[in-house]
Parts: sequence; structure tokens; C-alpha cells
Amino acid sequence: MDVALLVQVVLNGLMLGALYACIAVGFSLVWGVLNIINMLHGSLIVLAGYLTCSLWTEAHIHPFASLIPVGLVIGVGAAVLQFVLINRVVQQPVLTTLTLTFGLDMILYNLMNSVFDATPRRVTLDLGRVTLGEVVLPWDRIAAMLVALALTALLYGILRGSRLGRAIVAVRMDREAASLMGIRVPRIYALTFGLGAFMAGVCGALLSIVYPITTNATGQLLGKAFIVCVVGGLGTVPGALVGGLALGVTESLGSHWFGPQAAALLGFALMLALLVVRPTGLLGRKGYE
Amino acid sequence: MSLFLSRPRRQWAACLLALTAALAVPAVQAQTLKIGAPLALTGGLADEGKKQQVAYDMWLKRVNAAGGITVGGKKVKVELITYDYQTNEQRASQIAEKLITQDKVDVLTAPFGSGHTKVVAGVAERYGVPVVASVASSESVFNQGYKFLFGTLAPNGGLTDALVKVVTKQMPTVKKIALLGREDVFPKSMAASMADAAKRAGIEIVYNELYPVSTMDFSSPLSKMRSVKPDWIFMSGYTKDLILARKQMADLGVTAPVITMITGPAYREFAEALGPLAENVTSATWWSPAVSFKSDDVFGSTQAFVDDFRARGEKGEPDYVHASAAAALIAVQKAAEIAGSLDKTKLRDALAALELKTFYGPIDFTGNGMNAARELPIIQVQGGRAVVLAPEAIRQSTLRAVK
Repeated sequence: MDVALLVQVVLNGLMLGALYACIAVGFSLVWGVLNIINMLHGSLIVLAGYLTCSLWTEAHIHPFASLIPVGLVIGVGAAVLQFVLINRVVQQPVLTTLTLTFGLDMILYNLMNSVFDATPRRVTLDLGRVTLGEVVLPWDRIAAMLVALALTALLYGILRGSRLGRAIVAVRMDREAASLMGIRVPRIYALTFGLGAFMAGVCGALLSIVYPITTNATGQLLGKAFIVCVVGGLGTVPGALVGGLALGVTESLGSHWFGPQAAALLGFALMLALLVVRPTGLLGRKGYE
Repeated sequence: MSLFLSRPRRQWAACLLALTAALAVPAVQAQTLKIGAPLALTGGLADEGKKQQVAYDMWLKRVNAAGGITVGGKKVKVELITYDYQTNEQRASQIAEKLITQDKVDVLTAPFGSGHTKVVAGVAERYGVPVVASVASSESVFNQGYKFLFGTLAPNGGLTDALVKVVTKQMPTVKKIALLGREDVFPKSMAASMADAAKRAGIEIVYNELYPVSTMDFSSPLSKMRSVKPDWIFMSGYTKDLILARKQMADLGVTAPVITMITGPAYREFAEALGPLAENVTSATWWSPAVSFKSDDVFGSTQAFVDDFRARGEKGEPDYVHASAAAALIAVQKAAEIAGSLDKTKLRDALAALELKTFYGPIDFTGNGMNAARELPIIQVQGGRAVVLAPEAIRQSTLRAVK
């Protein structure tokens, strides 16, 4: 067995995993805290990708420069959407919010199809790569890893250290008690949703360098976010990171040993196995499953 | 009892009336050739569906300008009935059924791709309605024994044979090939057909795998490919996959003198999204605006078709999807003119016997309904645009090695 190749495959998995974590972290927040399965998540990532691509082709703004602004645009937009629309059904069973976000997703998806058309586009930037002997690491993937880590750290910091974060956690634990403590629950919901969307936005902006942006990818992105959350566990911020990395490495090694066809299969097998053995996910806590 | 009898009698009368009406209608309707087109105008295949729509419209404009088509010595108007099936397989089948039973179309066109063509062809076959497919090239669609299905694309084998011919002739040093195909009707069949063609040409297959539809990363198969050092990397998939794979090849330092991506370079967006990375990537295709045929169809020549396309203000150049879609309707038109009737069985028989020279190239449906293989263009991205490497008659450049 070629050691360098195996090292490369594991590193490929970690890089891919970071990308998955990046995709899933906002989704995990919204699901874990608001108990909303946000079907819009994939489309929001793609929308951010389109915005970044347009900024690059029209105004030559580097994707790294548009990372935060694009994230903010998506985040604020989503917060407004949540406040005006989703808040009306947020207390209903999870199926109701799922149906609503599903409907919104179809609207957004088809709007993007008619505005941007489904043609895959990409920010044609080459950030170069790091070569360590026979092992190659592309810079854009490293950047994705750093951004995933930064987002996770940021989210962790907010939830642990800030008044807003404590309020979000309080609302998740007991909505009525939080309300009695003077927390304005609908606003917290909107802010949390916006925060999740901000993360989708940042991820989408980054993805536009790595991955061809097309509306066809929305379902795939959502699917990956879903698996990552189940694997990593809900209700804990590092869960998305751990889940993403676990999924990435599993797929990469699976693809290497059993052929690319087995990669997706193994990802789902991992999810199923965890659901049976550890329904809370790798890092999940009881009460969030 | 008499109370019960009176009602059925009334119904009988109504039925008779309806029947006479139904019999009377075809005499009036015979003035119009109704063509039904289920199209993916929204959803994942929206871009491709719109290309078909553009081509259909280009043909229709030409036909209308000529005052319709001539069937049995009379001018007949043409009506094109399109519905959006939203890139949804089930909806495609429902719409095909609706077009046949409610809109009473005389002939159908199939949507984009082998998979959805199969669905529509299944419905059409049940009702005995001829269906002409413009973007299906996998034999698995045409080997169902369907009598009413015809396709304007040549079989996949024609593409891979032409490709191997060009590569072995212009770059004889190529000895090892690595194959990666998408687990999907057309790309899978292309990969299999390529493996077969390579074997026959004595090229060693050093890697041969399929990747699942939901793949978001190619680093694992590509890393493995790098370790077997192929001279030729052949990948078949959808443009999105090809863009990602080409990008990751560069990231991981995977390269080969020949990189073929089916059918990436045939689409403008491939070169646009990849920039310099698209350079020198080859593909086979069914048609290129560079071919030049004189024809006795509504367009008259390839050049006239390309000019019409530009005059509409469409982006870039027409690709094989546009050309093949227009050719499908030309086949329908010629079949109706030759049959001298809009009777579905007669149309079918006329299609089966058809031999045409169109702006798109010759059309001659073989026993299974596919267009006979002919000299298919091999293209390569050079200087940001696709140029033709073969056949010799329309060659614009020679094969260059990927740097």
C-alpha cells in the first residue's frame, strides 16, 4: 500500500469534511435551536454563490472580500423572512415549518433558475496549492477548512459568551420561561435564523471558488447538511464540524477502497449506524435527537 | 323500469351526437399538424429545455414563413403545443399522456436526455403516437422494441469510435487510458462504449470506475488515477461534474496529454466556468456550428441555421442540442409531406423510411429508430473556444496535448 497515496486520501477526506462542516453549521444551528428543518438552506448557499460569482464577473470583487457582505445580505434577508413569515408557524409541529420552508425553497429555487439559469458557473480563480512531497493540498480547500473552523468558533463564542447567545440557548431550552424572563422570543427566532443564513451565505461565497454553482446543487447541499447533522449531533456547535469531518473521511476512504460508487452508500451507512447505536450523534446531547 | 330505461336512451342519444361530432372534427383538424412537446422549462434541466424550445421556435418561424407544410397537395398549418414538465420524470409522463389524449397531437417530441426520453417514449408507444427524440443517444432507450420512437442523435458508439480514431492517429504515444463515468443513463453508456473502443484499439485500461449522481468531490478517484499515470483521462458526466473534476485535477496535479470530457467542450459554459483549465480538453459531439451542409429543409444550409440563431439575439453559438432539436422537427415535417397524411401509423412508416439531407447532417433512422452513425465531429477547446479536429472535411485544427 502506497503510504503517500493513503495520506493524500485521508487529507482529501478532511478537506472535503471541512467543506461539509461549512455547509452544515448554519443548518445545524437552526435545526438544533429553533427546531426548524430549514429546507431553504441549500438554496441560500447557492444564492450566495451566485451573488459572489456576479460580483466577481461584473465588478471583479474578490470572493474573499465579498465573503462577509454576501453573508450579511443573505443573513438579513433570511431574518426578515423568518420574522414576517416563518414566525407565524414556528410553534407548530416540525412538519409545518418543514412544509413552509420547503415551499419557500421551491420559490427561491425557481426564481434563481429564471434569473441566473441553471448553467453552472464558477469564480475562475486559482489560489494554488501546497505540495508536501507527493501530497498536494489545494489552498481553496484549506481556506474552506479555516472558514469552517472560524464559523464554528464564532458560533460557539456567540452562544456561550454573548447575551444574544444566552438568549438563543434559553429560548431553545424553554420558550415560555425565556419569554417570562423578558426575552422577546420572535426576535430571537429571527436572529437565530438570520445567523444560520449568514453562515450559509459565507459558505456559498467560499464554495463559488471550489465548486461550480448551479441550482441543481441545492438538493445535494441540503442532503449533505442533513447527514452531517445526524452524524455529528444536534444541539452542539462542534457537532457539525465533527460530523462533517467524519463524513468526509468516510467517503474519501470508502471511495478509495471500494470505488467512488460506494462513497455515498458508506455516508448513509454511517448515518444509519449512528442512528441505531447513538441516536444523539457523535457529540449530541440528550433531548436534541 | 321505464323510469330507468329513459335515462340510458338519452345517454345513447348524447353518445351518438358526440360520436358524429368526433367524426366530423378530424376533417377540420386535418388542416393542422399538431406537435406535442414536453419540455423541461423549469428545474434542473431548464437550460437544456429552453435550448430545445428555441430550436423548435426557429423551425416554426421558417415553416410559418413558408405558409405551413404541404400534405397531400394541401397547405397544412403547424401547431406546436408545449408544456413545462419541471424536470420531473412523473410529470413528463403525465404531460405526454395529456398531449395525446386531450390535445390530440399527431406526433410528439421527447424531452432532453436519455432518461426522460425513455419515459415519454413509453407513453407514446402505448397510444401509437410517433415520437422523435432529439437528445437521446443511449442504446438502452432504443432497444425496448418501440415501433414509434425515432432519434436524431447517432448512437454513443459512433462518438467513441471517432474519438479513438483521432487520438490514435494524431497522438500515437497514448497507450493507457483512465475512465470515470457518472452512474446515469447517458454517461454510463458512454463510459462503457469508450472502454470497448479503447480495448479494440489496443489501449490499456488502467482505471475504470463510475461515480454516483450525488458526488460533490472527485479527490479520491483522481488521487488514485494519478498513481496509475494514464496518457488519456476520459470522463463522462454532466457539465457541473466535469467542471468540478477538471478543477480538482489541477488542484491535485492529475494530468495527462489527452483529457476528454463528454460532452463539456460542446457547451459554451464549460469553457466559461473553467477559463484556462478548459484549454485543450477534447470531446466528441453530434454537431458543431462549424459543419457545413447544404440541405433541402426549411433552413437550406447549416450557415442559415446559425445565422437565424444569431439574428434572434441568443447568447453565443448554437450547440448540438439546438441543431438536433430543429432536425427532429424537420424529420417530422418531411415524414408528413412524404406520407401525404397525418395518420399516425402512416407518419411512423414515413419516418422509418426517411432519408434526408438536413442542415444538421444526414438523417436515416436505422431499425431501432436511431439515426445512423456518420462522421461525428471531435472538438477541442483551443484559445477559449471549441474547434473541430475531425472529420477531415471540416477540420479547423490538430490535436494538442494538455499542458
